[in-house]
Amino acid sequence: MTTDGTTPAGDESEASVAELVDTFENTIWPSIDRVLAGVDVRPERGVLDLIVHVPRADVVRALRMLKQGDELQFNYLRSLTAVDNEADGVDVVYHLYSIPKNINVTVKVTLPADDKVLETATTVWQAANWLERETAEMFGIRFTGHPDPRTLLMPEDMTDVFPLLKSHPFAEIELLQGELLGHERGAGGDE
Amino acid sequence: MSDGIFGVENAWLDAAIRIQLIVGLMTVVVMGLIYLERKILARFQQRLGPTRTGPAGLLQSVADALKLVGKEDLRPRNADPWTFELAPYLVFVPVFLGFVVVPFVAGWEVRVVELGLIYFVSVSSLSIIGWIMAGWGSDNRYAMIGGMRAAAQAISYELPLVLALISVAMVADSYNLEEIVQGQAATPNIVWQPLVVVVFLIAGLAELNRTPFDIPVGESEVVGGPFVEYSGIRWSFFFLAEYAALFIMSLIFAAVFLGGWAWPLGEEWGRGWQLVLVSVKAGTFMFFVFWVRASVPRLRIDQLMSFSWKILLPLMLVQVLINGAVLVYGGSLWILTIAGLVGVGVLAKLVGDAVSQPRPKVVAASAEGEVAS
Amino acid sequence: MVTETAPEFETQDLLINVGPQHPSTHGVFRMVLEVDGEVVKELVPHIGYLHRGAEKLCENNDFRQGVGYMDRTEYLAAHNAELSYVMAVEALAELEVPARAQWIRMILCELNRLSSHFMFFGAFGVDVGVFGTPFVYAWRERETLIDLFEEISGDRMMYAYFRAGGLAWEVPANFKERVHEVLKSSRQGVKDFDGLLTENEIFIARTKNVGIISAEDAIEIGMSGSSLRASGVNLDIRKTEPYLFYDQVEFDVPLGENGDVFDRYYVRLQEMEQSMRIIEQCLERLEDGPIMPEKMPRMLRLPEGQEVYIRTEAPRGEYGVYLVSKGGNKPWRLKVRSACLSNLQALRQMSVGQYVADAIIILGSIDIVLSEVDR
Repeated sequence: MTTDGTTPAGDESEASVAELVDTFENTIWPSIDRVLAGVDVRPERGVLDLIVHVPRADVVRALRMLKQGDELQFNYLRSLTAVDNEADGVDVVYHLYSIPKNINVTVKVTLPADDKVLETATTVWQAANWLERETAEMFGIRFTGHPDPRTLLMPEDMTDVFPLLKSHPFAEIELLQGELLGHERGAGGDE
Repeated sequence: MSDGIFGVENAWLDAAIRIQLIVGLMTVVVMGLIYLERKILARFQQRLGPTRTGPAGLLQSVADALKLVGKEDLRPRNADPWTFELAPYLVFVPVFLGFVVVPFVAGWEVRVVELGLIYFVSVSSLSIIGWIMAGWGSDNRYAMIGGMRAAAQAISYELPLVLALISVAMVADSYNLEEIVQGQAATPNIVWQPLVVVVFLIAGLAELNRTPFDIPVGESEVVGGPFVEYSGIRWSFFFLAEYAALFIMSLIFAAVFLGGWAWPLGEEWGRGWQLVLVSVKAGTFMFFVFWVRASVPRLRIDQLMSFSWKILLPLMLVQVLINGAVLVYGGSLWILTIAGLVGVGVLAKLVGDAVSQPRPKVVAASAEGEVAS
Repeated sequence: MVTETAPEFETQDLLINVGPQHPSTHGVFRMVLEVDGEVVKELVPHIGYLHRGAEKLCENNDFRQGVGYMDRTEYLAAHNAELSYVMAVEALAELEVPARAQWIRMILCELNRLSSHFMFFGAFGVDVGVFGTPFVYAWRERETLIDLFEEISGDRMMYAYFRAGGLAWEVPANFKERVHEVLKSSRQGVKDFDGLLTENEIFIARTKNVGIISAEDAIEIGMSGSSLRASGVNLDIRKTEPYLFYDQVEFDVPLGENGDVFDRYYVRLQEMEQSMRIIEQCLERLEDGPIMPEKMPRMLRLPEGQEVYIRTEAPRGEYGVYLVSKGGNKPWRLKVRSACLSNLQALRQMSVGQYVADAIIILGSIDIVLSEVDR
């Protein structure tokens, strides 16, 4: 359930483009749609910010278009990370902020689980440098064109372990910690 | 030449006894100084300092000394053995050599040397060689950097220090420390040479490698500087040398600028009172050193060198010229006082101008969070 | 300031390794400096010594247990760290936090800002070279604050006091008086630091025009917090995207002019004054009431397919929490946007071309805590 009572995000893929525009008319979506003309973008209402899904091939181009120009000026990269959706692939998420306009947007790219390659965003913001290094070492994503693809937090020789993937197991003690309290993921619980 | 101590006739034996007394005195005094520094610094920092070892922590230095003596004497494998092991002695011995001329009270110096002041300055600068040897011999980058910095700093501040002492010697018309003290029976030299006193304080801090000039031993950067590889007894030699140098510098300060035992009491008061007087005067110098250490950040090596070469040295050269002019052409010594006070004002202004900026203003942002790009 | 040596001189650059054990690195941090004489030619930071996998661990713990991990990522400003996390959970669970809890949260976060900035002054004073005096003053001030925190939450540093929905338990009955006491002594402490350092010529000579970063570069590299504001960028999340009740209290945002080390120090000094102003206004508006919502489920389960990125102004910058939920009582992904990591990226840019002694001071002025950098 979204906070403003509109149709849940999951159903939007069925709606037509015209309905999408109507749903988002009081957000920054129209501006983004205008600025990202020529890129196949799909919006989604987030809890706080607008989420924009961009296809893999156009990511850096879209990010650059969002940064430049006078309309939006997303000059601040707040955060860059990834989410492992197991079979559905890995989402790379960019949180952007425009200091002059005080607006936020979240840009999402989905990478297939067996082909985690993406162009680097360091040409758009320097802030992406370390953030991409961390995302790469934690999820096994390769950012092509990155000027310094070393590990950041992991040891230099552990380049084949990707801890934040769901397939990477917890240590036994950590599993025990979750189980001892008797919780089950997704099950109905006490009130 | 005064009578031998304890009535001993032989000059050599007499000198040997005096030197032994000084060595014994030094050890006690240094331990006391270390304790005092820790207590005084602690009070500045709102804490107590040593309190547990012995009554009021008085035995802290003894405990430290025992601990240091008990430590293993390490030498890094790649350290050059001769340089590494000789360095502490080369730092430590020149300081003690300086004690030969220091006048404690009337008649209680080891030897009265006609060129006492020159002897003191030249001998104490031999320590620099020891610092460089320690830095290079340790086979450690931090030590080498520390040693180089120490050498650069010592050389830079040697000149204003020497010129300061020469200025005072000009006014006192002698290099003999005993005569300098006796010549101040009426007025101490601080009255005639205020600028020289200030410069001596600053250059003295630098020669002692004390804050704000302690970058060679900058703890937060090169962690101990040239002494980082030393431990146990060898390290304690450096430590001893530092405090002995502090003691000797304060005694020289008391003798040359504040009138030693001669002012305001004079010889009739007897050795006991003279000793107290000299202690008080030396104590002010030491307190000043501790006070500055507790209060002031550290200067960077290039700032410290440019301060010495560009500000202190020219001021001292001008001071020497003025001294010479007034003394040769006759003239009241009060001219020197006035010139000195003007010099202090100039120094303060130069220092202030070099760094002062108006206090920055706080820029208030409007409550709606409007962003001024 | 830096003279070029004549080309005939064949000098060799020195590689200096600073850390991981070093009195000045504020934690376990290693940087390798390539030095030509005294000038830094290259600086390579190595982090990750304190990486404990907080993000992964939070995926295995439910939403109440996660607060403990957030504390430990930023232990000097733990309330601010907890705040981002509980706000993220509340946003997804659509919990409404009672007003009293919000005011108390604000007071505690600002008090934590005070204690964190005191810590900065202490460590920064040691870096600049004043032997111990600012450090001991800092601890004196922090003790009064930490004692208060201990009375409230039982812990001196890792409080685990905020809960999704409000607070864990009520504050002690004499809360207002205690906070007034603490404010009085903190005010004196700020004056002491100001008097000790701000107009000291040597301090100014060491910090002015050292480690300058321009506003554009700072934005480009993702800096936030006091370091960004010292470069003149007017970005304070409490003003631009207000949370808690920051839009109902009056305070100013200090900005620097040059973006040098002195500005970063002075901006923090001014921020402390503003924090105290905020706390006093909060104390006036604090009224009785509940601290948790009435219908609070014992086991918090979040809806599926929701995500949120909550950002707050922690003392070190923008501390963000990106929470992705796919149903259930544990997060699917919890990402901590660390202010110190982004600020640390700028270290190389600020230090190259400066002296070695300055590199240490610049590192101190960014005010990092390694547990937040590494998580």
